[in-house]
Amino acid sequence: MRRKNRWSACLSTGLILFTAGIGLAQTKPKVAFVPQIVGIPYFNAMEEGGKDAAEKFGVQFVYTGPTDTNPAEQLRIVNGLIDQGVAAVSLSVLDASSIDPVMKKAKEKGVKIFTSDSDAPKSDREVYVAQALDQDLGYTIIDELAKRIGEQGTIGIVSGEATATNLNTWIGFMQQRVKEKYPKITLLPPQFAGGTAQRAFQLATDLMTAHPDLKGLIAVASTTCPGVAQAIESAGKIGKVVGTGYGSPNTVRTYLKSGAFGFSVLWNPRDLGYLTVWAGKQLIDGKPFAESNSVPGLDQPVKYDSATKVLLLGPPTVFTKENVDQYKF
Amino acid sequence: MSWKRWLFGRRELTLALACVAVAVFFQFLSPYFLTADNLITILRNSVELLLVSLGITFVLATAGIDIAVGGALGICAIFVGWSVQGGWPLVVVVLIGPLVGTGLGLVSAFLIVQGKIPPIIATLGLFGVYRAAIFLLLGGSWISGLPDTLGPAVNTIIAGIPLTAIYILFFYFIGWVVIRWVPLGIAIRAIGGNERAARLSGVSIGRTKFFVYGFTGLLVGCAAFLYVARYRNVETSTGGLIALDAIVASVLGGTSVLGGKANLLGAMFGVLLVRVLQNGFVLIGVPSLWEQVITGGLLIGVLILDALAERSHAQGRPRNRGNAPQWLATP
Repeated sequence: MRRKNRWSACLSTGLILFTAGIGLAQTKPKVAFVPQIVGIPYFNAMEEGGKDAAEKFGVQFVYTGPTDTNPAEQLRIVNGLIDQGVAAVSLSVLDASSIDPVMKKAKEKGVKIFTSDSDAPKSDREVYVAQALDQDLGYTIIDELAKRIGEQGTIGIVSGEATATNLNTWIGFMQQRVKEKYPKITLLPPQFAGGTAQRAFQLATDLMTAHPDLKGLIAVASTTCPGVAQAIESAGKIGKVVGTGYGSPNTVRTYLKSGAFGFSVLWNPRDLGYLTVWAGKQLIDGKPFAESNSVPGLDQPVKYDSATKVLLLGPPTVFTKENVDQYKF
Repeated sequence: MSWKRWLFGRRELTLALACVAVAVFFQFLSPYFLTADNLITILRNSVELLLVSLGITFVLATAGIDIAVGGALGICAIFVGWSVQGGWPLVVVVLIGPLVGTGLGLVSAFLIVQGKIPPIIATLGLFGVYRAAIFLLLGGSWISGLPDTLGPAVNTIIAGIPLTAIYILFFYFIGWVVIRWVPLGIAIRAIGGNERAARLSGVSIGRTKFFVYGFTGLLVGCAAFLYVARYRNVETSTGGLIALDAIVASVLGGTSVLGGKANLLGAMFGVLLVRVLQNGFVLIGVPSLWEQVITGGLLIGVLILDALAERSHAQGRPRNRGNAPQWLATP
């Protein structure tokens, strides 16, 4: 009898310690990030940066998202995270027009909700963690392309999902730049390939057939980069058509080297993921953003625009055959 | 037989004429449409869908359905990608896709035959499993920048005929022989017409279904091989929703989702019509989104016409009761 008591005492002490342990672990606030699609190199790099930041700033990082670029599925996941009681949730918006209800729900439950990578500018988000100004991204790709094709000729655009806010905004700035600065360049209306390389390949090939004098092809979504580059290689148009896009060095490395891609424009998604988690931590702690913030672990100071509530990572990087091997993402 | 019956009674002929009409229309608006290069491009872009549609036509003929083909294609493509990347012997590179595909097809058949799960549920479940498996196998990073070792398999043109066209003709010929000239083909249509009646007349349901889904898997594996050879890239979305495109093409081609009917030539022209529309829209500068509206509308329109034709046809002769095809009902 006595022995039994001792055992149960041990057991209950253990149990208490165990629950206390869980309790302690749970005091680490959770910061979640929901990408547009999981399982692609770009968002994997963001995840990696997020993990690093979580370790550094003492939060728990939750990374989960849809397996295809489906806006309804993304919102379902965000809803689930809010119900699970995360302290802050960020997402790369797939469809800005359907996001208001989930924003409202987050506010009601006291969860900090903000956007990162792709914005919903008209929504009630706390902050938008921007990789680079959309305007810079759109302008840079046109300027670099114009330099390489002699500022004249026809350029085609192959985008991803027709509802993706970020892609459409960049296309808008490309069109604006061409209109203002390059009267001799014709920018064709964008074609949408969804998420597959096969369809991007098909569209790129068809665009080259329809316009034998095509000078450039822009792959707007990172998922469309391999298809477009492959199409230029297969059509034997290397040197005649300059391919480019917003592709990470790992995705476009072989194409930069084969010459199918002249260059690629992007930022470091690892740093973007890092900044996203830092921003989440600031929001949870209730600390306001300064006009210029020095974030431990990032080289450059991060600018904040209080009028538009945008936190800006920095200017975009241009990757070429010469510098691509310096980057490993 | 009136000319109307002759023209509209044979779906493959109607579709071929539709292809020609659409081609004339596009040629009128873009001088680049009817060029050898562009026509070969259309054909090459159709290869995977042609193979998968052939399999789906068989499956639909048994009144079954296979939603998992997209996921299975992705998994096969990963294995082909690995074999190319690892520089495995050519025999392995060529055979691994079809082998894995056949295996996955047999898994579907096992669930349907032994597990007695309705095909739509079994393959829907498998589709989810395969999609997840693709993510796990790839570990989130694509297989990209593969060497061009398989290029000749898809880009060779012999005496003006692309090699890919020969693959297609080969598989469709086999399919045609099976469905027309072999007892197995009769068994397939009998199951689709009325499974109970087929069982009672001594058709081995299980064995036939194992063949149908296994054969579809084999075709999916071949499609995966051609996919990797062509795009030298395996991304997590490989395969995607190809099942839906294949069902659209088969049904456009005159194969009924209710089973009992298979029209291989129709499926072939169904695929070509869809691809010609996709290609033509880009060539004449219309945003590609519209093509989905046209294909969807076309499908519904064709099915309505079918129903109307059936009704006028059925007047004045005894109705074919139940689902059993005429040739089975009258011994």
